[in-house]
Amino acid sequence: MAGFTTSNNRIKVTQEVTVGSSTVEETSFDTNSNMPHIVGTAYLASQTVDFSNMTQSSSYAGTDFCSSNTCIGYEWTWVYVPGYYTYETQYVYVPGEWNFSYDYWSSSYSRTYTPSQFYSTQVLVWVPSEYYREFNTVFDACCVTDYFIYNINGRESSSTVDLVDLPTDEDGNPIDIDFVIVQASGSRTRNGKDPRFDQTFVTGVPPKTFSFQGSVLLEAAAEAGGNSWMRRIMSIFVNNSTGKLRLQKKESVRAINRDGYDSAFPYIGSSRSTFSFNLKVFFGRFK
Amino acid sequence: MAISLKITPTRFQASGTKLDSNRRYIRKVSSSADLKFVVSRNMDVKNGGLRYVNPLGNNVDDANYNGTFSGSAGVDIKVT
Repeated sequence: MAGFTTSNNRIKVTQEVTVGSSTVEETSFDTNSNMPHIVGTAYLASQTVDFSNMTQSSSYAGTDFCSSNTCIGYEWTWVYVPGYYTYETQYVYVPGEWNFSYDYWSSSYSRTYTPSQFYSTQVLVWVPSEYYREFNTVFDACCVTDYFIYNINGRESSSTVDLVDLPTDEDGNPIDIDFVIVQASGSRTRNGKDPRFDQTFVTGVPPKTFSFQGSVLLEAAAEAGGNSWMRRIMSIFVNNSTGKLRLQKKESVRAINRDGYDSAFPYIGSSRSTFSFNLKVFFGRFK
Repeated sequence: MAISLKITPTRFQASGTKLDSNRRYIRKVSSSADLKFVVSRNMDVKNGGLRYVNPLGNNVDDANYNGTFSGSAGVDIKVT
């Protein structure tokens, strides 16, 4: 059985429903309760959300002192050695020789052989003074290089724009809105790339129409361990004090370092993303 | 032809059945809610992380989030 009552500006409709083995009367409609309802609708085409390119910077990380031996040079110092006397061993070789003689008395020849001799002798000699260059191995200055590490600059950015006036009552005054339901369709019109890779950011925007209340995650990126380092979101909300529907885009980028040295993030200049949404906004109230 | 008003022992219909006792209209309640109705911003980002405030009003944070955003729980809604 259904019930219907009207009294004192109140309309109430009830309906009997079966719960288990019993029948209870439940309220279907009651103007005395806070019933969500839509008081206005706005169509907003081609709303653009733009997140600019990230930036990077480099900082000193250390110095390479030529460990590779590919660029070694030398330097020397002059060393003076004064003159001095010293004994020097000199070797003398006297070759063997035959000596012949003639004996008149016997009218005969004779010969004698003196063998060769090899002997040494100590001779006092003067060694003059001299200069000479003593060489030392050094790392050539041309080879000593500083190396740098690159990092994505952290940043927190947010901007909010007014989209449209809130619905008004019969007197033209903005109606206090309790909630908005946003039905959105659109796409990412510029596919921002992760600065580390040749890959676009993961996006949470579905390819078809979707609805949301409050906020929606547009893009995200995480480190290898899974911790996020970048989030981009969009929120649509009302400001009853100004009578405006507002759109806020917000981005958070945590600074991360590049693996390795002297290697910039190759796709930092392609990290900008843009979105374009067609929005159908339902303005709601409870009373 | 649309029904302007029709009342039977088991059903009430009015305004082209926009109002119909066979339907279930949702309404805001203070307790015994069937669902939550999000009415405000429910995400924030900081330090590369995200905070999501679920309809129960609980913060669900990324590990790196270090902000102070405080969203509100959804409004209690009754269906039946």
